[in-house]
Amino acid sequence: MTTSIKKLVTAVSASVALMGAGHAAAEIQIGIAGPVTGPVAQYGDMQFSGARMAIEQINSKGGVMGEKLVAVEYDDVCDPKQAVTVANRLVNDGVRFVVGHLCSSSTQPASDIYEDEGVLMITPASTSPEITERGYELVFRTIGLDSMQGPVAGNYIASQNPERVAIVHDKQQYGEGIATAVRDTLKNKGVEIAMFEGVTAGDKDFSSLVTKLKQADVDYVYFGGYHPELGLILRQARQADLDAKFMGPEGVGNKDINTIAGEAAEGLLVTLPPSFDEKAENQELVKAFEAKNEDPSGPFVLTSYAAVQLIADGIEAAESKDPFDVAAALRSGTFETPIGTVEYDKAGDMKSFEFVVYEWHSDGSKTPVN
Amino acid sequence: MQDLLYFSQQLINGLTIGSAYALIAIGYTMVYGIIGMINFAHGEIYMIGAYTALIAITGLTALGLAWLPLILIVALVCAMIVSSSMGWAVERVAYRPVRGRHRLIPLISAIGMSIFLQNYVHLAQGSRNVGFPALIEGGFNFSADGAFQMSLSYIQITIFITTLICMIALSLFISRSRTGRACRAVSQDLGMASLLGIDTNRIISATFVIGAALAAVAGLLLGMYYGSVDPLFGFIAGLKAFTAAVLGGIGSIPGAMLGGLILGVSESLTSGYLSGEYKDVVSFGLLILILLFKPTGLLGKPEVEKI
Repeated sequence: MTTSIKKLVTAVSASVALMGAGHAAAEIQIGIAGPVTGPVAQYGDMQFSGARMAIEQINSKGGVMGEKLVAVEYDDVCDPKQAVTVANRLVNDGVRFVVGHLCSSSTQPASDIYEDEGVLMITPASTSPEITERGYELVFRTIGLDSMQGPVAGNYIASQNPERVAIVHDKQQYGEGIATAVRDTLKNKGVEIAMFEGVTAGDKDFSSLVTKLKQADVDYVYFGGYHPELGLILRQARQADLDAKFMGPEGVGNKDINTIAGEAAEGLLVTLPPSFDEKAENQELVKAFEAKNEDPSGPFVLTSYAAVQLIADGIEAAESKDPFDVAAALRSGTFETPIGTVEYDKAGDMKSFEFVVYEWHSDGSKTPVN
Repeated sequence: MQDLLYFSQQLINGLTIGSAYALIAIGYTMVYGIIGMINFAHGEIYMIGAYTALIAITGLTALGLAWLPLILIVALVCAMIVSSSMGWAVERVAYRPVRGRHRLIPLISAIGMSIFLQNYVHLAQGSRNVGFPALIEGGFNFSADGAFQMSLSYIQITIFITTLICMIALSLFISRSRTGRACRAVSQDLGMASLLGIDTNRIISATFVIGAALAAVAGLLLGMYYGSVDPLFGFIAGLKAFTAAVLGGIGSIPGAMLGGLILGVSESLTSGYLSGEYKDVVSFGLLILILLFKPTGLLGKPEVEKI
């Protein structure tokens, strides 16, 4: 019995080792690292579908420098600890280019490993400013920063002349970062901030918070965080007849918030990247997604597509597969992508990226507010 | 007046959550009272109860059933049946074979079971937050002259009343019924009870089944109250309920009720008067304090009837 198990284990590990060695030389591996499972797997779907489409389309046009791109997928569950494990595995697997990670709190620790090990990383979703503040050479993004999104939200709230505003966040890097940016913008505009408070991500009971918001008699509530918490806050606020307008960052803007909040999601304000899928020049790409029965309208689908494309364009521009050469090429070039013309500054941030305020509806659709 | 209304509202919020914690805590405390082990998979049983109720509600609504009490009762019964059989199976598979060994072994087995069940639901139901329909909406509003309105919603009332009924039924069951008497005997001395002709295995199974059924009730109630379920939400709730059980004195049923209410109220008052960030700090801090000064918990005495 024991020996047969041992044999089986040996056989399995041998075949795994063979599989690892089986990658032919004429392939460029693109690691896609994001949440396949876990509470924000919704965003992972967007990331994976965008990146896979880009890889498919680039390959159908003959690949990069005659070599095919191959997707290697990793699940980090948006958990910083798992992200580090994933980053190490990716390095061991010999992957030199990564599209990911998604949550800022995962991207940050993973990027330390990539920078040390010479892996080029483009995050399609992490908006925390700290990620590109550390002078890393191999870290890029295809999305704006909290420091851009916060002011957009703050300016919008200020323009509505609210009397009292409450700011709530989920104590995570992304949520708290963006909430702080909103608070600072509002303070500069002289708006009274009645509350600035954290909740615990994963919590379900927000009745005390809602009661407090009611007591503070606020007319705007800004929430920095993701949809599982905001969805419940909206729903519990509606049950308690709290009469306030809610606003959140792009982390809350997806259809899952409707299944949680139901009717209460109507009228929620969200800052999102502009709808790239509605741009005229992207219509062909949108059809390709629709042909595969996938939805290109999620905020991170086309940013992930662009990330893969930038890696491919960077390799061609540098005429090299060395991540450092590719990074230098990305910094010096100008690239046309579905998210517009991309130019990078020294830190690895895009020189321009705009956020737009949308009003969210209870059927999951959204309309721009102006 | 304003302040009083605010305080009462936070108190109501706390008591609602607290009574649900108490329902879950019963499962921990009964199992501990009888076999002296901590059933860490209990939080998952509660989570499975909530999922089963959700599936039943969705199914019944899809069939076109619209009469609310019937939907609720069918969902409750389904949840209780599934959770109870799960509780029974967990005991049979993971705990009975290792019973009587070193204390650590059943504990590890329980943690393993908890991880297994969590991941099983992950695979079977997906990892996303699923919305739970708010079947019981509306409530009473009380207001003074000011702007703040205190509200007592029907679902909160439902949670209080259901908890109260369950607790009374359980107390009667333990004190009056034959099985209840056997439970008390087993908790006092397992070996002796067995010598006197009590089928201890059956009693232990019954304990798991009762605890799981009450957890399923909590699952349905809290699912409706919060508005969403996910595969991980049993873990935190289990931890809180375990804290409640220890706070009140593990092994004591009135202790579990008291512990649950104290924990719920202290959480909500902390969120209400300090900040939500300190909610868990205060409740677990309270636990440490009580354990320092009264290691057996509030109502637990070293040698009273457990269970």
